[in-house]
Amino acid sequence: MTTLERLQALLQKELDLAPERLAPDARLEDLDIDSLRLIEILFSVEDAFAIAVPAGADELRARLVTVGDLAAYIDSLLARKANPAP
Amino acid sequence: MRRVAVTGVGVVSPLGNNIRPFFESLVAGRSGIGRLSMRFEERLVCRIGASVSGFDAASLFAAPQLRMLDRVSQFALAATAEALAEAGEVLDDLDLERAGVFVGTGMGGARTTDESYFTLYGEQSDRVKPFSVLLAMNNAAASWIGMEHGLRGANLTYSTACSSSAVAIGEAARRIASGEADVMIAGGSEAPLNFGTLKAWDAMRTLATEDPEDASASCKPFARDRSGLVLGEGAAMLVLEAWDRAVHRGARIRAEMAGYGLCADPSHITRPSVAGQAAAMRRALADARMDPAEIGYINAHGTGTQANDSVETAAIKEVFGARAHAIPVSSTKSMHGHLLGAAGAIEFAASLLAMEAGIAPPTINLRHPDPECDLDYVALAARGGVDIGAFMSNSFAFGGTNAVLVARRAP
Repeated sequence: MTTLERLQALLQKELDLAPERLAPDARLEDLDIDSLRLIEILFSVEDAFAIAVPAGADELRARLVTVGDLAAYIDSLLARKANPAP
Repeated sequence: MRRVAVTGVGVVSPLGNNIRPFFESLVAGRSGIGRLSMRFEERLVCRIGASVSGFDAASLFAAPQLRMLDRVSQFALAATAEALAEAGEVLDDLDLERAGVFVGTGMGGARTTDESYFTLYGEQSDRVKPFSVLLAMNNAAASWIGMEHGLRGANLTYSTACSSSAVAIGEAARRIASGEADVMIAGGSEAPLNFGTLKAWDAMRTLATEDPEDASASCKPFARDRSGLVLGEGAAMLVLEAWDRAVHRGARIRAEMAGYGLCADPSHITRPSVAGQAAAMRRALADARMDPAEIGYINAHGTGTQANDSVETAAIKEVFGARAHAIPVSSTKSMHGHLLGAAGAIEFAASLLAMEAGIAPPTINLRHPDPECDLDYVALAARGGVDIGAFMSNSFAFGGTNAVLVARRAP
């Protein structure tokens, strides 16, 4: 299962949304994911992927526009965890 | 000053989750007190409380909203829904800037705080839930009510311990009387039955000893063998409305919110004084421009502690003189427990229903009278055929904020 697929499954469960609405280019805003809901989702993401999301809410909101953005961000955190900077 | 009508009442209580079963239980003298069951219950000195049962939050709230609601807000929203349904089209054709929400709560989202501390200290985990702040903040219940119904007037939370919701109701009525608001949702909510809060109360040594034969009979206000208070949970909310508006729209006016007396007892953080309690009662009567002889029922603060019940008895006698003995006085806490910040509101609701029905609810478990408590406490069983033209509801608090509400039967 790819990161994207795992994320889609998680979002489907958290938001009670049909899977076809969770395409990589789907905008979080269009899924009614406001700043608070995003915080809640990140909490679940941290548990599901065993990672820590370091950034604050405002920064994440600016960086993460689509479902694909969020999947890529999780991948970057997983990579950092696998290969910690020296 | 404008007159203030009560046009809606709603409750979530240990005696039922709307006003009908609540009042039926009061009249039947049924206790909502029992053994509590929770994690670490074996460590509780006092294992009894009055909990709300049959409250299905998942059926009342969508999952995403429910994750943002502590139990205290769930109760407040449910009680508000009932009160507004009762009040009919109260919000129609209303400038919502002239509608506000005043809620009293002593401990706010205490369960959320308890759970997050358990995560931190018990599980040694840093995974505190992301909305813990929003669930636990004391003003959450009032905010959710305002949001749910789009009310843009004053939205305030009062926290004066056991008088919180009496204060909220009294202050809300004043907003309407002064002309600042036309409709106010006012009341209180409390959900303190979690391990951490219960242990804090255990440590205060003011909780009742469990009755060895019947746990449900452990709260014994005004009795010689009273041993303390029993904590309860729940909410009660009122719809208060400008009198003329209520009349104009043909609303069912359930009572006139007539008087509010507030004073501080500055001598001690917990010990009540006859002078302080009497002053609050006198102020409420003066505010209502009411002769004490009009009061046909008193819902006492009646906690079941040694200190309160004898002091309150003396204070009632000081205010009402010889007539004190002729007024039915009851402590419904003997049945629904002490709802702390919601106590004033739920007891106002009980009194209002009692006035409408002409039935004084009882003080149950009063089998062994205390010579220092010699009023008519409607011991053991409700009394029908009581002409209640007006009632008084007393709330006295740790911290000394005494609040007394007086209401009249609607003409």
